[in-house]
Amino acid sequence: MKRVLITDDATFMRLSLKSMLEKCGFEIVGEAENGKVAIEKYKKLRPDIVTLDITMPVMDGLEALKGIKEFDKNAKIIMISAMGQETIVRQAIILGAIGFVIKPFNQQTITKAFSKL
Amino acid sequence: MSDDGIIREPMLEIYLFEATQLTEQLEEISIECEKNKKIDTESINEIFRIMHTIKSSSAMMSFNNISVLAHSLEDLFYFIRENGSVNINFEKLFDLVLLGIDFIKDEVFKIENDNEADGSSESLVLKSSNLLQYMKQDNVNDSKSILLEVEDNINDHISSFIDCSDSIKQKYVAKIFYEDGCEMENVRAYTVVHNLKEITTEIYHVPSDIIESNDSVDVIRANGFLIGFATTATKQEIEKRFNEIIFLRELELQQVEEYPQELKDINVKKEISPEDPIIIMNPQEVEVIKEEPLNVNKSAKQQSIISVNISKLDMLLDLVGEIVISEAMVTKNPDLVGLQLDNFKKAARQLRKLTNELQDVVMSIRMMPVSMTFHKMNRIVRDMSKKLNKEVELEIIGEETEVDKNIIDHISDPLMHLVRNSLDHGIEEKQERKAAGKCETGKITLEAKNAGGDVFIIISDDGRGLDRKKIYEKAKLQGLVTRPEDELTDKEIFSYILLPGFSTNESVTEFSGRGVGMDVVKKNIDSIGGAISIESVMGKGSSISIKIPLTLAIIDGLEVAVGVSKYTIPIMSIRESFKPKINEVIEDSDGNEMIMIRGEAYPIYRLHQIFSINTKVINSADGIMVMVEDNVKSACLFVDSLIGEQQVVVKALPKYIKKAKGIAGCTILGDGNISLIIDVTGILDR
Repeated sequence: MKRVLITDDATFMRLSLKSMLEKCGFEIVGEAENGKVAIEKYKKLRPDIVTLDITMPVMDGLEALKGIKEFDKNAKIIMISAMGQETIVRQAIILGAIGFVIKPFNQQTITKAFSKL
Repeated sequence: MSDDGIIREPMLEIYLFEATQLTEQLEEISIECEKNKKIDTESINEIFRIMHTIKSSSAMMSFNNISVLAHSLEDLFYFIRENGSVNINFEKLFDLVLLGIDFIKDEVFKIENDNEADGSSESLVLKSSNLLQYMKQDNVNDSKSILLEVEDNINDHISSFIDCSDSIKQKYVAKIFYEDGCEMENVRAYTVVHNLKEITTEIYHVPSDIIESNDSVDVIRANGFLIGFATTATKQEIEKRFNEIIFLRELELQQVEEYPQELKDINVKKEISPEDPIIIMNPQEVEVIKEEPLNVNKSAKQQSIISVNISKLDMLLDLVGEIVISEAMVTKNPDLVGLQLDNFKKAARQLRKLTNELQDVVMSIRMMPVSMTFHKMNRIVRDMSKKLNKEVELEIIGEETEVDKNIIDHISDPLMHLVRNSLDHGIEEKQERKAAGKCETGKITLEAKNAGGDVFIIISDDGRGLDRKKIYEKAKLQGLVTRPEDELTDKEIFSYILLPGFSTNESVTEFSGRGVGMDVVKKNIDSIGGAISIESVMGKGSSISIKIPLTLAIIDGLEVAVGVSKYTIPIMSIRESFKPKINEVIEDSDGNEMIMIRGEAYPIYRLHQIFSINTKVINSADGIMVMVEDNVKSACLFVDSLIGEQQVVVKALPKYIKKAKGIAGCTILGDGNISLIIDVTGILDR
């Protein structure tokens, strides 16, 4: 079972994504409420996949992406973004994110997006 | 859980919990910023993030009216964030934000009560976008074009890639179709191109403009994304890469000799450099007002907390209560009387110690600081002082004071009413204050403090105070007075306003004066075992003190015997107890028994009479007097004897017993007997 680390400052969003991913057969090994925690947990847990929300306090998704990639250049990272964040998502792609999912998402979206991972 | 005990689905619970928390946070920040007439960077970011989160979560739960509103407000603050040096009309801005907060609160309230969130946020959204337009006109938006400039640099960076290897380059053409509804297909296409750069020496694609143009999204949706490229990689390697694309619905990949015409027609030939310079986009360093972060009270901020369903806590508290009772039933068991049990007693002491500790910890879990409730009042003060055109400042003292969650839920409404009263009737208008030599800004103080086993919440203002005469007259008119005015203390007269139907206001305002307020406040406070007392000085101000017990569930009580029955009198109501002397007991003109203590006369209430109990102890000198007080009066209860002090777990009277005046609840003693808990106010009101 592939192991996932979920990052989002909203408990609600983390829970939604967690339940949807679990239905796809992923194991959620950790949750992070901001980018800084995400980097720390990545180092500790070494998940197979990381999801990063973009807008977060303390450290945002883009910075976290940089940090994780610095630590492990093969890290598989999916950005969770909102409509209208094209520029940031593009930057994320340049920095090495393998893809992105747009909020709001539903079970179908998540299943389709993560089926290849 | 909703009120009728139906457990909602957990996602909805969390959504509602977070939505409430976030709107409260937002409200605090907004009021603070508005008051100080400036928004620092941190606040802007916080407001933006909160709107963003509410937008996303609400959309996930299909509460689109909320989501759309949050989105429009998010746009507003995004603009402010990117264009720091805007001229902000704080009043307009925060009026709008607070209206938005109200809307969201209303919708959340509806949802919590299992109703449809059917409110329309259209007018607010319109207001918001109008405000944004207005702001945009006032400020030239430079940042966007600069961002584009930098982006272009990435793409125009042309350098030739010298192929060092001897492998043959093949040309391929691929067409990609994305899943319906995955959104931002142009950026997804960009992802593909970006990732292909590693293995290709040239790439052409249609649509060619996938960065600047959002129209490309529609083209890609309709016709797919067409790519032509040259690479030394094998077809399998290429296929593998393409199949990793997220949201890929369909892939057509073939090796070609020549690119198809549409790809050849692209006039900008983009040659790829092996690595894109990774340009990190720092939005142009805009001049956002860089003040020190405002001292916004972070009481509602997210701390390291886990949220537990309150019903689980209730169950836990119940269980602990039962354990306390069981522990008493074991250690004070009648079977053990007279036995030599040193080791047992030692063990029993340890058990007692642990049970007490357990009890303390569980109680503390349910304790919450009053700060949240106090800070809610900020909004009321702000709104009302605006409406009434009065200048009022709210001072909060002792907000860290903790109180049981159950109690917090019950004091919120009374507090609001009392604050409204102060604002409406207490604090005078500016001219009146000036004429009276007071400073123009009125002050309302909310104070919370611990005193013994109770918590005191005091609302005071420096307004015009209560008119003793007026209150007495009104009470007389309503037939509520029993004694002449000069016999009554200020406290007693002021407490008339707590009676139902009482109101000395000539006119009913929007906020108060219908005479249904204060008695409801009293009822609320009574229901949690608290008491209200009012003090005031004409012209100087008023002060209302609410005394509430630290907890409802467990109280310190004095066990007394009346006949074969046992009663528990809450220790917090007891002033003293003593054996009376015959000559101390006298009768007043109506035949009511009184007792003289240190020059003061106190009425006597004989429990055996009140509860119709057979007892041999009739003579005053044979029994015990327990002097008790509620917030207004003092009296003596006559009982047979005192048994001892005991901590008791309060249990509500079972539903099949009608409410008995004078009885607050019941408890089970260590010997298995039932003891009724005395409601002092109920007795004294007779």
